[in-house]
Amino acid sequence: MTDPVLALDDLRLTLAGGAGPVEVLRGISMQVGRGQSVGLVGPSGSGKSSLLMLMGGLERPTGGRISVLGRDLAAMDEDALARFRRDNMGIVFQSFHLIPTLTALENVALPLELAGAGDAMARARAELDAVGLGARTHHYPAEMSGGEQQRVALARAMAPRPAILLADEPTGNLDAANGAAIMDLIFALRDRHGATLVLVTHAPELAARCDRVVRMADGQLAPEEAPAEAATGADQ
Amino acid sequence: MSALALRLAARELRGGLAGFRVFLLCLILGVGAIVAVGQVRAALQDGLAREGRVILGGDAELEFTYRHADAQERAWMEDRAAAVSQVTAFRSMARLPSGDAALARVKAVDAAWPLVGEAQFDPPMTVEAALSARDGVPGAAMERVLAERLELAPGDRFLLGDTEFEFRAVLLREPDSAGVGGFGSGFGPRLLVREAALAEAGLIGPGALYEVAYRLLLPGADLAAEKSAAETRFHDAGMRWRDARRASPGSERFLDRMATFLVLVGLAGLGVGGVGISAAVRAWMERKTATIAILRSLGASAGLVRAVFGLQIAAMTALGVTLGLALGAGLPLLAAPLLAPVLPFDLDFALDPRALAEGAVYGALVAALFALWPLARRLGVPAAALLRDIGPGARAWPGAGSVIAAGGLLGALAGAAAFFSARPMLALGTVAGVGVALALLWAVGAGLAVLARRAARGGLADGRPVLRTALAAVGGPRSEARAVVMALGLGLTVLAAIGQIDGGLRRAVATDLPARAPAYFVLDIQPDQLAPFSERLAGDPLVEKVQTAPMLRGVVTRLKGRPAREVAGDHWVVRGDRGVSYAAAPPPDTRIVAGEWWPEDYTGPAQASFAAAQAEELGLALGDTLSVNILGREIEATITSLREVDFSSAGLGFVLILNEAALRGAPHSAIATIYAPPEAEAGLLRDLTRAFPNITLIGVREAIGQVARALGQVAQASSLAAGVTLASGLVVLIGAAAAGEAQRAREAALLKVLGASRRTILASFALRAALMGAAAGVVAVALGLLAGWVVIDRLMEAEFRPALGPALWVVAGGAGANLAAGLVFALRPLAARPAGVLRAP
Ligand SMILES: Nc1ncnc2c1ncn2[C@@H]1O[C@H](COP(=O)(O)OP(=O)(O)OP(=O)(O)O)[C@@H](O)[C@H]1O
Ligand SMILES: [Mg+2]
Repeated sequence: MTDPVLALDDLRLTLAGGAGPVEVLRGISMQVGRGQSVGLVGPSGSGKSSLLMLMGGLERPTGGRISVLGRDLAAMDEDALARFRRDNMGIVFQSFHLIPTLTALENVALPLELAGAGDAMARARAELDAVGLGARTHHYPAEMSGGEQQRVALARAMAPRPAILLADEPTGNLDAANGAAIMDLIFALRDRHGATLVLVTHAPELAARCDRVVRMADGQLAPEEAPAEAATGADQ
Repeated sequence: MSALALRLAARELRGGLAGFRVFLLCLILGVGAIVAVGQVRAALQDGLAREGRVILGGDAELEFTYRHADAQERAWMEDRAAAVSQVTAFRSMARLPSGDAALARVKAVDAAWPLVGEAQFDPPMTVEAALSARDGVPGAAMERVLAERLELAPGDRFLLGDTEFEFRAVLLREPDSAGVGGFGSGFGPRLLVREAALAEAGLIGPGALYEVAYRLLLPGADLAAEKSAAETRFHDAGMRWRDARRASPGSERFLDRMATFLVLVGLAGLGVGGVGISAAVRAWMERKTATIAILRSLGASAGLVRAVFGLQIAAMTALGVTLGLALGAGLPLLAAPLLAPVLPFDLDFALDPRALAEGAVYGALVAALFALWPLARRLGVPAAALLRDIGPGARAWPGAGSVIAAGGLLGALAGAAAFFSARPMLALGTVAGVGVALALLWAVGAGLAVLARRAARGGLADGRPVLRTALAAVGGPRSEARAVVMALGLGLTVLAAIGQIDGGLRRAVATDLPARAPAYFVLDIQPDQLAPFSERLAGDPLVEKVQTAPMLRGVVTRLKGRPAREVAGDHWVVRGDRGVSYAAAPPPDTRIVAGEWWPEDYTGPAQASFAAAQAEELGLALGDTLSVNILGREIEATITSLREVDFSSAGLGFVLILNEAALRGAPHSAIATIYAPPEAEAGLLRDLTRAFPNITLIGVREAIGQVARALGQVAQASSLAAGVTLASGLVVLIGAAAAGEAQRAREAALLKVLGASRRTILASFALRAALMGAAAGVVAVALGLLAGWVVIDRLMEAEFRPALGPALWVVAGGAGANLAAGLVFALRPLAARPAGVLRAP
């Protein structure tokens, strides 16, 4: 891997919990190459979401280094990080985080508008069609089910065709048929646009489709496994 | 159930008062302001009642105008009273031999003065020492301003009329300041002398304008009975009775009006606070959504949940009202030192139950009314809907019970306003006005939300993320528009209204007059002095114009053959005595608009020329008759002409002029107005007072200054009350900004995730604050102007001219404060990394 998209070196995160500091991540080192898809699995509380936050530049590590697309995130200020995400990253949160005052369509269009795209609304509509929500464009988040919100969040993350997609359990709230359709969409992003994927998941089917599976436990990485064998134990 | 509700409510409140800070502050400020005003009013009233004898100068006072009591009248008084003291009051010029002169309100007293209370002098001395003759020269005491104006030191001499007096001491406190020549009797510093010394001064001749009062000591007497006895004895003798029960009706009225006005401002402030209370309760209910939903899903009845949250609101209201009462009771103690120097008695701030009740009732009603709505709207939502949307959003229309309760509370509020206020209609009007303003602001907020939504839907925001997010915050599902526009709008409205009223009052005196006003108003010119007076001024090149007219004082008693009060009600023309003049030919500058002036040598039945505008107001027409009582003589005249009279220019303006023959025989003096540039004033004063020692010159410039100063004091009191409103408004604003902080922090974090720079986010926050601030501001300017017009034009009957400048400043300031509050609370989330906010679900 000559030119890794993500390079993590002894990454550490300690959070100040109510009952004293909690070591959430305890020395994570890994590299992800361009166009790779990585499945991140592990028991609840092992630190998967926290690691994703660090990769997105949403959290400041307490130790170690992280660089994305060759740039050191620690060297960037809030605005530079925002611009960097706008131009390179799509993020799907475990709890979706749609903007409650905006409709589904407006939520999806917003990152395109922030990037100055002229045809934001049309592209957003197409994106909602793709996740099967063409009929719900004018609904507010509070008026949609969890699964629907999740799909809007995914559409929002994918609409700008990011080079990197970070998704936290993107199919967690979906039935099998919808889940499979969404997985197809995600992998199409990689296949057609060469995006790099990091997917947190408890679903064996999703883990099995990834190039690599990384298992986390207690804030550390376990030795890597082949996707097929990891898939059997993914949903713990 | 109630025990369980109590237990659950107590458990909920264990978390502390953090969520109730805005609620409590709004309530404390509003209640405190109302109680403080009530306390001061009560203390002043108490003082007036307690010291009634002292400030009146006796148990009762019989006042005569332009005459002394005759021997029989005096004997009647001495017969009834344990002691009688005579006081004469008039205005005159205190002069120096050098020619310098200054207007003074002279009070001439006898040896019995003061019957009650004590006068204070600097240096300290007895009345006897201050006023009695020494080496044949009578003594005098005066207010410090007069002594300083004439540059007199104790021992120096000055003239009053033709008589020389020795200045002995500064008059520090005059006990009987409410008696004759006291409150409301006009401008000028007090000058105290012995009546006996005046005998030779030639100031109290026929036609002079003076009042004589006889103070009686009536120990143990029934004042009501004494009053009717006196009114029977002096029926038709022009006697005015006052007694210690209401020693100073004038200052009592003034006090009542002032207190009413201040309570109204306080009430409006409480209204502003109410909006804050409502917003605070809504925010609190939103945080409690999970609790409510879980209580409901665990099987708590709707009634139990209502009781749990109602009890918490009740507890907070009780706490806020109690603290407000404490604040209101404490504030006047701070104000006492400010009031002490201007009052003739000491204030005693006992807790006044009425003031406390007023504050408590208003506070409880306003808190209940404004808390009820958000409470009912949230509690009406089914548990499932609450769980689906934990956080703001789900609200239901309150049931019929809540609507009835709100109606009942509104009715109670109106009832309280009517009960507590000295002018119930005004109080009801204020409550209604606040209600209408809130409704209008609500509608404007709702309209703004609709507009924002339409604009976003219509594609206005496409490709403009700043506008998109700002419009969404204004028009989206959790729109702040109504709450912010109401809170900000009502606060700004009250401020704008006070600005208009204050500005209107000041302008009424300050800008209008001086351009056209005379330099001096001259009183007490004797008929034989008129010719030399005019001649002297005619020779002065600096004098631009002189107008003179004979003047008598008279009371309009009948109009069109019926009692004047019956025809005209409380119109100022029939209230008390008016200046009446006579003339053979129309005075210069007269504009006759109807009828004809009488021939110069007319001697037939009395004819009258009446001011046209006032005739119209009184329903008088040519040919109608009227009667005036002048010095006890009733004169009936027929109106034969109507004139245009400008009363605002401080020139000579008589409502009523009779033909010469009707009045020439009556003893009278003349008045004059002198128009001259300011640089001529000092010379004129010196000249005229030396030549005509008995005349009185009133400097119009100075008089206007005094009115302006008096109004300034009123304005100061009202800006104090406005300060309370402003403070409530700020608390509400900051509370609203703080309540929205979590939501904004979340939005800021998300926008950052999606690639928005801090500038973009800040711009979006600023834009929405500006949009809502502008909407609130526009409504506030309109409502403020309306309120100003109502108060100035309708209530005070003065000319209202909108002051757009100050109104816009108030609005810009308010909108700026809103913006600043919103941005300050946005800074923290903007600076932080988003993970902290986003990690929470
Ligand atoms: N604000 C915080 N302060 C202290 N500790 C925290 C905080 N937020 C999370 N943690 C801890 O960090 C650890 C990792 O949390 P994280 O959300 O990354 O786990 P996860 O692997 O995503 O779990 P899940 O599969 O349940 O989503 C957990 O043990 C959690 O208790
Ligand atoms: Mg997680």
